[in-house]
Amino acid sequence: MDIINNMARLLEKYWNLFLIGTGNTLLLSAVTVFLGIMIGSLLAVMRISKWKIGKCRPLNLIASIYVEIIRGTPLLLQLYFFYFLLPMLIPALSINKSFSILLALCLNSGAYVAEIIRAGISAIDKGQTEAARSLGLNYRQTMMKVIFPQAVKNILPALCNEFVSIIKETSLASTFFVGDLMTQYKTINGATYLSIEPLIIIGIIYFVLTFTLSKAVAVLERRLKTSD
Amino acid sequence: MTNSNYLIEVSDLHKNFGDLQVLKGVSEHISKGEVVSIIGPSGGGKSTFLRCLNLLEVPDSGSILFEGEDITAKGINIDQHRQKMGMVFQHFNVFPHMTVGENITMAPVLLGKKKKEEAVEMAKALLERVGLSDKYNEYPQRLSGGQKQRLAIVRALAMEPDVMLFDEPTSALDPEMVGEVLNVIKGLVKDGMTTVIVTHEMGFAREISDRVFFMDGGVIAEKGSPEQIFSNPQNPRTKEFLGKVLH
Repeated sequence: MDIINNMARLLEKYWNLFLIGTGNTLLLSAVTVFLGIMIGSLLAVMRISKWKIGKCRPLNLIASIYVEIIRGTPLLLQLYFFYFLLPMLIPALSINKSFSILLALCLNSGAYVAEIIRAGISAIDKGQTEAARSLGLNYRQTMMKVIFPQAVKNILPALCNEFVSIIKETSLASTFFVGDLMTQYKTINGATYLSIEPLIIIGIIYFVLTFTLSKAVAVLERRLKTSD
Repeated sequence: MTNSNYLIEVSDLHKNFGDLQVLKGVSEHISKGEVVSIIGPSGGGKSTFLRCLNLLEVPDSGSILFEGEDITAKGINIDQHRQKMGMVFQHFNVFPHMTVGENITMAPVLLGKKKKEEAVEMAKALLERVGLSDKYNEYPQRLSGGQKQRLAIVRALAMEPDVMLFDEPTSALDPEMVGEVLNVIKGLVKDGMTTVIVTHEMGFAREISDRVFFMDGGVIAEKGSPEQIFSNPQNPRTKEFLGKVLH
């Protein structure tokens, strides 16, 4: 019963911190996904590009290495890395550490988005490309008119799911006190010495956010299917 | 040596997939208005040969003259030539995100061959001709296999090609739908369309073709009139193959 009472008191006293934390988490996630999509699209274009120097496809190679490194190392490590690296490269940024964290999140998300886009495009049957090319469409026209419109149906739900997982992953950024929901937990924990109670509260908030969004994605997915 | 009557002229075509030699030096020509069927066992190079004609497969060596121009030459704009070579695939490859009408009008409008209204008018006339006039606004998902293939033929015809290439157009169809597709092809042939068709429908090949190629082991092992090939084959491999497929 103590726990319930404590939770009630926390909500009463710190409701604004929970609210700000939720806002920051959503904002951080949204910006991360948005910039992640920009970076990911660029990487995906690099990965499917056919430009060659000799036998080597340099753009493809660079993008592949980037994606593999990002996906093969922990996000927390990447956050630390940029947290220390960026101010060394650009001293002006040492004032705003959050920027380094945001950049790291975006670069991380970009690699996953690139894979989502690439998978969405390569899931389209090769016969579609052949049919379009046999009509006389060039590579670009084939992509724009035939491949991308179909690939979007694979990509869109997966991108929304990426948004859902980023909401959870941004909690790692609290290591650097960026003001997200998890950061608020640390603040409240420091002020009240309560652990379980604030954790339950932000746990519920995280769950409501991700659960609602997942359900919304499922609806979107079904809509896209029926519109075929 | 180029004959102005030749629409397509192939010399010494080679194509490898890795270590596998699929085409081992094919030289042939197809004249304007001619109907050629290509028969033979699986893996004999029929489809690869056909797909080389519009460079969906790029040959390793040899040349292909289309309307007198070497389309394997460097710097050639193959897209321009492909506009004049219609192709129909085994698996239809209709565009599922477009309506039947859009499937047909997209290419001619996008490539500046037709104005939108002209293309729509032509699409409707073509659909009428293949018995799909009520399907203009449907999505391909709602069509049967035979209807999809007829749509694929019409889509290719909308570019007003000089030659039609058919790659086993009835192999993926339920048996009761084969006839409707073959009838459409027959109609084209009757109108004088230059046609190259890879097929396992021997009766059909015999009926419509001017010449029949028997391909095996990456070469044209035997060629001749349908009468010669089907009634009096000379090559033992042709005999063996026909013995297996004609019952």
